[in-house]
Amino acid sequence: MYRYDAIDREMLADRVAEFREQCQRRLSGELTEDQFKRIRLMNGLYLQLHAYMLRIAIPYGALTSKQLRKLAFIAGTYDKGYGHFTTRTNLQLHWIKLKDAPDILEHLAEVGMHAIQTSGNDIRNITADPHAGANAEEVDDPRVWVEALRQWSTFHPEFSFLPRKFKIAVTASPKDRAATKVYDIGLRLHRNAAGELGFEVLVGGGLGRTPYLGPTIREHLPAKSLLSYLQAILRVYNRYGRRDNIWKARIKVLVASLGAEAFAREVEAEWEKTDQAKIDLPDTELARIRAAFAPRDFESLPATSNAFEAAKKDPAFARFARHNVQPHKIAGYAIVDVSLKKPGETPGDCTVAQMLAVADLAERYSMDEARVSYEQNLILPHVRLDDLPAVWRGLDAVELATPNRGLVTDIIACPGLDYCALANARAIPIAQAIARKFADPALAERVGELGIKISGCINACGHHHVGAIGILGVDKKGEEFYQITLGGSAEAEASLGQALGPALPADKVADAVDQMVEVYLRERKGDERFLDTFRRTGLAPFKEAVYADAH
Amino acid sequence: MKALTGNRLDDGEAVFLDHAGGWGEQFVDAQLFEDDDAALAAEAHAKTEITVVVDPYLIDVIPSDSGWAPLSFRERVRALGPTNKPEHGKKTEGGEAIEALLHAHGAARSKGRIELIRRK
Repeated sequence: MYRYDAIDREMLADRVAEFREQCQRRLSGELTEDQFKRIRLMNGLYLQLHAYMLRIAIPYGALTSKQLRKLAFIAGTYDKGYGHFTTRTNLQLHWIKLKDAPDILEHLAEVGMHAIQTSGNDIRNITADPHAGANAEEVDDPRVWVEALRQWSTFHPEFSFLPRKFKIAVTASPKDRAATKVYDIGLRLHRNAAGELGFEVLVGGGLGRTPYLGPTIREHLPAKSLLSYLQAILRVYNRYGRRDNIWKARIKVLVASLGAEAFAREVEAEWEKTDQAKIDLPDTELARIRAAFAPRDFESLPATSNAFEAAKKDPAFARFARHNVQPHKIAGYAIVDVSLKKPGETPGDCTVAQMLAVADLAERYSMDEARVSYEQNLILPHVRLDDLPAVWRGLDAVELATPNRGLVTDIIACPGLDYCALANARAIPIAQAIARKFADPALAERVGELGIKISGCINACGHHHVGAIGILGVDKKGEEFYQITLGGSAEAEASLGQALGPALPADKVADAVDQMVEVYLRERKGDERFLDTFRRTGLAPFKEAVYADAH
Repeated sequence: MKALTGNRLDDGEAVFLDHAGGWGEQFVDAQLFEDDDAALAAEAHAKTEITVVVDPYLIDVIPSDSGWAPLSFRERVRALGPTNKPEHGKKTEGGEAIEALLHAHGAARSKGRIELIRRK
């Protein structure tokens, strides 16, 4: 893990002191809300329906146990005892008081954390494959490059007032666990035929009102040129991106309107005239950052574990092992998914007791690391197979051992109208109603892999466009209705969902999902996933089942 | 009929202008305006209370079975707290007024949301 150095710590201390003074000036009336709003947003502080919301950045989703314990302390001291992990791998606290915000930021700074780059029209907190450093397929550790981008982008004066917010995701594995196709810039690290490390650069993906899958504008960018090439992309965006219309201001609209090839030509021309050596990371600096992510001190262990195999006699543990334990690059280790999706609970919510339990397990069994995934779950990346039964018991004790990663109950949902000032409709109760229908773990297992993603408005924080079943809350004269899309995916072979038909009222959505799952179980061939069956059959059988009553 | 709402500056709590000209946390204590001009005057004054309340705006209210309630569902969520957590928000106060809000119907687009998007 990267540890903040003296420069980082000084920067954060200055920032906290500055914000403390700004809050005082706002509370005294010296600053108006219009003047202060931009300042508080630059520190991750939003005003929502019931209180202020603080969005805390978790760069590349990585947390030490100390950091997770600090988040638990803040949630217990300044909030109502829980936090909400988001699809951007951040943590949102929904009951924050303005007067407490500077103290909270001071606490965060103590553990090298902050809420910078979680709002505003800048380069937002950058996400990465949550299996980084633990999966066998990756060609390099993407966190090295994300950390370099973080240091380059934080407070970058040229890119602090872009036409709109800007999100970057990085993966270094063929299996895309970072949704790089739906980001402003998606970076896929790979080796070319000559064995050289480089990035496939995708630009102009995004969800929201006008969803796009990002086209590739460069197949292989030499890794060492990352910063200068990204500068060129951002300069083209800064120059041509629209500032007159918020709905057309994201880079995806610029790329779509110019066309990917013309956009790429603009970027290449800008890049050509850049003094690249001045911008790109010196080898010494890259080495300094890389050292922070040096391979962990893994033990030499047998590839199988008697303790692990014996524990599978317990059917509950065996089910957990089938769904929430994934292979590790090192023999004798595993990656453990910690589901924040117990049926009936709020997707992504985590209580103080749960955070503390995961922190303890991370410290004892996962080399002091936990990760956050964009699916709103936690991950223990480096667990010895021998320790899996103990980790499972520890998780089970705090209701975090739900064996459902990737299954029908592993639902992504934004906070929706229960909290968010921008939402049109609630997302959480829809997720709860669907999850209750499939709460029986045997049923969920029989249905298999099925990503349901729910957003409470067109901003698409719940990634509904890339859900195998996507659900979008809309406002019909003030009433909550839900549009369903099918066939979306954020994986390497990404696709956007297709609309099923007219929007449904809230109380029909879970039934509709049930009906569509029935169609899938009836139609599926062999080991097809829901998505595979849909891609083969198309919308018709699903549409027929859901709207049968209407005919 | 209208009521005036906003969020309290120091803690963000959803508040309603009450009969004494202060800002209360419960909708049941809200001052109701039959007269649009009086409502607009109250809103204009509230916008000057910059150390007390943030972004005040008027909401439509309708009669429910036992009292008045905000017309828009969004405003009822603000007046009650999040529906996914029974233990959080103003609904934990309980009582007849809360029950009335919980059982109120009616739907309309929220001016609060529209204003927020307009200013974004």
